[in-house]
Amino acid sequence: MDTGNNRTENRPSTNSDDYLWDRSGEPDSEIQRLEVLLGKFRHESPPPVFPEVVRERRWTFFPWRMRLFPALATAAVAVAAIVAMTFLVYRTKPTPTTVAGWDVSSVEGTPRIGEKTISTKEGTSRLGIGQMLETDRQSRASLQADDTGKIEVDPSTRLRLLSMGSGLKRIALDRGTIHTFIWAPPGQFVVDTPSAVTVDLGCAYTLQVDDSGAGMVRTSLGWVGFKLNGHESFIPAGAACATRPKIGPGNPYFEDASAEFRSALARFDFEDSTPQQRAHDVAIVLGEARNRDALTLWHLLARVDEGQRVLVYDRLSQLVPPPATVTKEGILRLDRPMLDLWWNELGFDDISVWRHWERSWVGTATPVREK
Amino acid sequence: MARSGDRGDLLAAGLGPGPVREQFASETSADATWVAAARDGDRAAFGQLYERYARMVHGVLLAKVPVGEVDDLVQDVFIRALRRLSTLREAASFGAWLAAIARNVASDYHRRSVPEEPLTDDASDNEIQCGMSSEDQDGSAAAIFDAVMSLSEAYRETLILRLVEGMTGPEIAARTGMTHGSVRVNLHRGMEQLRTKLRTDLRCDGPEQEKS
Repeated sequence: MDTGNNRTENRPSTNSDDYLWDRSGEPDSEIQRLEVLLGKFRHESPPPVFPEVVRERRWTFFPWRMRLFPALATAAVAVAAIVAMTFLVYRTKPTPTTVAGWDVSSVEGTPRIGEKTISTKEGTSRLGIGQMLETDRQSRASLQADDTGKIEVDPSTRLRLLSMGSGLKRIALDRGTIHTFIWAPPGQFVVDTPSAVTVDLGCAYTLQVDDSGAGMVRTSLGWVGFKLNGHESFIPAGAACATRPKIGPGNPYFEDASAEFRSALARFDFEDSTPQQRAHDVAIVLGEARNRDALTLWHLLARVDEGQRVLVYDRLSQLVPPPATVTKEGILRLDRPMLDLWWNELGFDDISVWRHWERSWVGTATPVREK
Repeated sequence: MARSGDRGDLLAAGLGPGPVREQFASETSADATWVAAARDGDRAAFGQLYERYARMVHGVLLAKVPVGEVDDLVQDVFIRALRRLSTLREAASFGAWLAAIARNVASDYHRRSVPEEPLTDDASDNEIQCGMSSEDQDGSAAAIFDAVMSLSEAYRETLILRLVEGMTGPEIAARTGMTHGSVRVNLHRGMEQLRTKLRTDLRCDGPEQEKS
């Protein structure tokens, strides 16, 4: 039986934990005090008066409708004949538009879906699977899908809708900038870029791709997973991460890190440096790292050579000590469960969310176009 | 004790049978019934959903927007949900869907606010501050609330649902769609950080600065 009482921490159960979890076990006086004091902020408002809901129409065969049956049947046959003729005439020119898709509205200027322009006066148009949305230098667009989220598209952007099923929802951002706010369950919204695949893990983020295919993601809420060629980066709120074609995502970082830190990291991630130069850049990153830059150092563990990994381990241990069950030897051989346990100490979010969703979308991914 | 290989168990936590699970499974079934009725125009059924989920929505918003705005935004969330109810494909996911709408409403609130404040600084938006009230207990509550708001987003939302809204861990998981494992981790770690913070910070001597 499992009611969530599995130990997720590496220490024995305590009554305090049980009380915090479900109020079982011996009451913890400090938690009780907090409950009493913070209870003053609790929700107590009465329910509002909700507006009338329009009842969904359902067809029922009342006797008076039965009298209309011959006329309705004739009309149905005529409509079917017209539809069949239309299909026969136009089937050689299939359109990629399907029912599934995003509602697109123009925010400014005249964005285009394929060859069709959309103006602010037109209301919404549909971006179907296989179709391309493009904004020029003067136009911006907004996409919305009720069960997925909202995407704001900046000028000079081109994106394509790849899939829109009840599971994976996938677009390709060829170039430009999008701002996404996704309310679909974590892991269901994926954006392919020329240099990485971004996986939404319940968040809001901005994704940019330039003409060379290089990308940048900035997370403002929740977190994002970024992956290509075995490189994976987790970007929590407030952090950013760059990508380059054929290299994939670099190490994520907080943008308030020092300029020296960011420059050294960019050189390490993307420049074709000598081993000595790389060692020098790593030394700068370690020297400049603050507590919250443990985010970067944790990623760096898997990207430095064995000699430097010891240095990264030591510095990260100073900033965020590893849990008791995580050993230096384990980290140096990049033991994934140990790396994950240490990640969970950094205070961003539980990495098991990523591992779970990673399994759900890896394998269904279409190849990323590389330039 | 969890071992490193138990990550799968962490994900699966709470998925097995058990009285608590069964209780919430039957609630999920009732949710589906109420959602179907609400789609057909039954306002009483939607009222039942409100009764069950209002605290969750309130807690999610309280973790993200100023206290004084929360009650209005709770109503916005439910009205938005009512209008979009026909787009909800799996009625059993009503809680997770509603939580996502609440987070979206909070995000919209911050976008509308000028000048825009970083989301991580939400706590500073709240008017309640240490020692603001003349009542000692109110001041203490406000200071503790500030301490909760200074924690990272995942921890503060879960702790608010537990300590402010009075929900249990299994209830938080059932209402928000999070796994038991995630809720448990957030509660445990968040509470540890809160205890540390209260021991060191609760002297009303100003916000803690990040150690550089």
